[in-house]
Order: sequence, then C-alpha cells, then structure tokens
Amino acid sequence: MTNFYENIKDALSMLNGLEKDLNIRHFTPNELKVFYTIIIQSASSESGSNITEIVDNSGMSRSTVYKTLKKLTNAGIIGLTQSPDDGRESLVTLNSIS
Amino acid sequence: MKNFFTVSLTSFVFSSALWIIWSFFVVQIEGNPNWLGSVFYLPHAARILCIVYFGWKAIPALFLAELWGPNFSLLDIDSLINVIPGLLSVLSVPLALQTLHLFGFPLGNTSGSPLNKRNYKHIALITMISAIYNSLMVNLMLTRFSMSSSEIGIDQVVRFFVGDMLGTTIVLMFLVISLRPLLNSKKVN
Repeated sequence: MTNFYENIKDALSMLNGLEKDLNIRHFTPNELKVFYTIIIQSASSESGSNITEIVDNSGMSRSTVYKTLKKLTNAGIIGLTQSPDDGRESLVTLNSIS
Repeated sequence: MKNFFTVSLTSFVFSSALWIIWSFFVVQIEGNPNWLGSVFYLPHAARILCIVYFGWKAIPALFLAELWGPNFSLLDIDSLINVIPGLLSVLSVPLALQTLHLFGFPLGNTSGSPLNKRNYKHIALITMISAIYNSLMVNLMLTRFSMSSSEIGIDQVVRFFVGDMLGTTIVLMFLVISLRPLLNSKKVN
C-alpha cells in the first residue's frame, strides 16, 4: 500500500507544479470564481467584459468583484479600458501571456 | 497482490468515470457533428495517468474499462477483433514510455530523472507521443479490417491526436482546480 500512496504523491506533485505555473495559488475560491467568469465571458466578447455582467454571472457581491478586479489588475492579469459605448462603464480585458 | 488489486480498482474506477463524463457530453451535443466527441477525448487521461504512475499493473483494468466504456456493457462484444483497438489505445502509453526509454529518457520521479513523472511538462510529452501512436495504430487497425462505417482519412487521424491531447489537458485542469485544497497542503509540497 505504501507504494500506492507514493504513486499518488507523485501524481499530486505533478498537479502541484502545474498549479504553481498557472499562478492561481494566491487567489481565494471566490476570487477564482470571478476570474473564471472573466475567462468565460472573454471567449464571447473580444472587446472586453462588462463589470455588471461579471457581477451577475459570477454570483459574487459587487464589492468582492471590484476587490478581485483590483487584485487581477495589479497582478497584470487583466486590464481595464473605458467602454466606447458608455463612458462611465469599464470593460475588463484579459492580458496576453508573454 | 493487495497493491495490484488497489491499482486495478483505482484505474478501472477512474477510467470508467471519465468514460461516463465523456459520454454525457457526447449525448449533450447530440452527435452533431458526429466527430465532435473525439476532439476532447477524456478517457485518454486515465490511460496516461494510471500507466505513468502505477505502471504495467494498471493495464488490465484500463483494458477492461476500454471494453466496458463505449457501451457500458461487456456483453456487446461479438468478435475478438473488436477488442483490439481498445488494447492498442491502452498500449500506446507504455509504447510511448518505451520509445522515450530507448532514446535515453527513462521514467523516474526525481528532479534528476531524464523523464520525471512529477513534472507536468514531461507528462505532456508522454501524452503527445502516445496520442501519435494511438491515432496512427487505431486508425490503421480500423482501415485494415474495415471496422469503420465511414471512410477514414488523415482528418480523423489528426482529430484522434488533438482529441487525446485536449482531453488529457481538460482532465488535468479539472484535477488541479478540484484538488487545490489538497495541493496547497504541506504534505504534497
């Protein structure tokens, strides 16, 4: 049985390395939910995601979403641009990985 | 013997679970187009992970899951020739490992190992080579024995390759996200 657990440990170690390189470790589950919502919305909208839609689709409170957006912006993962249709609205865009 | 039983049970349950999840999505897309399911072929992840981490002991259980998976029944197998594609698919992983071994990359679990099972990039390489073997061997078999109802072209070979790669990636991403609390514990690090 020890051998079996050693094998499982090797597999978890591989997944651990993958998670580390994905750079999602320092996010809480709620922040990850907001992040995944942005990713999903980005697939359907190239110009950027509307913050109100992110709040609605993530199911998180407006303050959690705003805190997460600030954290993601500081980490350089997302960018905020002004909406061409509504000057008061900001659009969230995913920054490319280089 | 106890270890073999544990490995077999784990491999069979994991592979069968992926077959069920994959079949669910294939039913959801209602086979439109009918090849869409093969573009994200989740069961290949079970072949990769079980053989890389458990070794040859996982092969019989994976083979059994290959026979059971497509129809969720072992009674539908009417000819011995129908079981060969499943066997070839399972054997594509040990064949990839053997190929890498021949080129001087034996499988190990330390940072000094040329092929480290703790490094996801090395797992990606094994996945890629096994996907090449799987797509070529299975489609050659289907063509040779006229086992496919439609004509097999290079597009199907490419689709099998992409499907195995994408399917394994999806399963790995799912495992990373769902096992985050465990991965962040000190025991793994």
